[in-house]
Amino acid sequence: MDPLILVALVIALALFFDFTNGFHDTANAMATPIATGAIKPKVAVALAAVLNLVGAFLSTEVAKTISGGLIREGDGGVQIGPALILAGLIGAIVWNLITWLLGLPSSSSHALFGGLIGAAVVGSGFGAIDGGVLVSKILIPAILAPVTAGFVSYLATKIAYKVTRKRERDGFKRGQVFTASLVSLAHGTNDAQKTMGVITLALIAAGMQEVNSGPEFWVIAACAVAIAAGTYSGGWRIIRTMGRGITEVEPAQGFAAESATTATILASTHLGFALSTTQVASGSVIGTGLGRKGASVKWRTAGRIALGWLITIPAAGVIGAAAALLVGLGPWGIVMAVVLALIAIGGIFLWSRRNRVDHRNLHQPEPGVFVRPKKRKARR
Amino acid sequence: MNIDWLAFFTVVVASLVSACLVVTLFSLALRLGDGKAKWRRPVSLAMFGLCGIAVAFGIYLIVGDHLLVLFSGGR
Repeated sequence: MDPLILVALVIALALFFDFTNGFHDTANAMATPIATGAIKPKVAVALAAVLNLVGAFLSTEVAKTISGGLIREGDGGVQIGPALILAGLIGAIVWNLITWLLGLPSSSSHALFGGLIGAAVVGSGFGAIDGGVLVSKILIPAILAPVTAGFVSYLATKIAYKVTRKRERDGFKRGQVFTASLVSLAHGTNDAQKTMGVITLALIAAGMQEVNSGPEFWVIAACAVAIAAGTYSGGWRIIRTMGRGITEVEPAQGFAAESATTATILASTHLGFALSTTQVASGSVIGTGLGRKGASVKWRTAGRIALGWLITIPAAGVIGAAAALLVGLGPWGIVMAVVLALIAIGGIFLWSRRNRVDHRNLHQPEPGVFVRPKKRKARR
Repeated sequence: MNIDWLAFFTVVVASLVSACLVVTLFSLALRLGDGKAKWRRPVSLAMFGLCGIAVAFGIYLIVGDHLLVLFSGGR
């Protein structure tokens, strides 16, 4: 196959992955402000989109290894060619869409890692994977991130409810605008970089760009627009899960949870212990649910989310591996892999139309679900 | 496999202190903004101001390095 076509395919799929990354992660920043009514749903996604766009342009430091050291690439290791990157991207995209359909906030980076790992294993065996890095960079942080954020958010919620009286707590809505915006901006500076890294790697591998050079301006611009468009389209299913599915969030809780998320993410990026934004944000919401008296955490939903995190890497890996097997067959295999991926994407999209979730019906209960009438609290 | 527990501990402490500080300030600002006494309003505003500084510091943490790169003339 003409390498030019292959690289074009990789770029197209990478940008589509960036798009799914955007709408998967809108919920991290905007689920709680939408749930408490601090920002109107449409305004919230527009704000998040703009901040992601700005953030993507502000990021100058692109990770040299997109796999974060998981795959032994480079000298004496695995050579990941554009074809394997293509397979990895297919795995990441399909898994991102499946978790979106199920309304699960799962980490897009993990989906990307998983897809690439699967492709690398097919390409050159299990020796390609650094197991120690997998445990210390993915598994342990996946446990620590929600626990840390949950603990911080729990204490912050306690403080907020101790200090303020009931009639003052609407004021927290104004604070939420700022904390949510910070999360969005931080997201833009981090996440668009991954796609820039993938595209740059593919360009270098195809010999269209010098080795060890940074991303071209058009790559940065395209990634910024893709992630902003994805963010604006809003992963409403995931926003629903994060905003209402785990616990009922009040403005004071929303502010406490968002502060905890912001603080944890900023601390983790600047003090050298990387934590997943999605896992931090989910942990904060659970923590704030535990921190308010009378709030309850729906552990079934929390368990489903945790299960989603556990299987994200293997699942994306299996899809990536299957795609890599097809790609290994030669040009026709590549065409077939792309066509099958398009069919899967189209299928998931059509399936999602069966019960639409968007900004209009975000917080309506699903038909057929029994709604327990709100009990009036007994006066103390 | 090696996990940098010291870095992790620093992250926990830093996020705990900063998040609780901001939430305390904002809560106090709301609480003090509510009363009738004359001294309350300026103190409340000052606390909102401190929260604003915290937000500005957050923005600096996110984009500070990048701005430095931009204004020092390239990479």
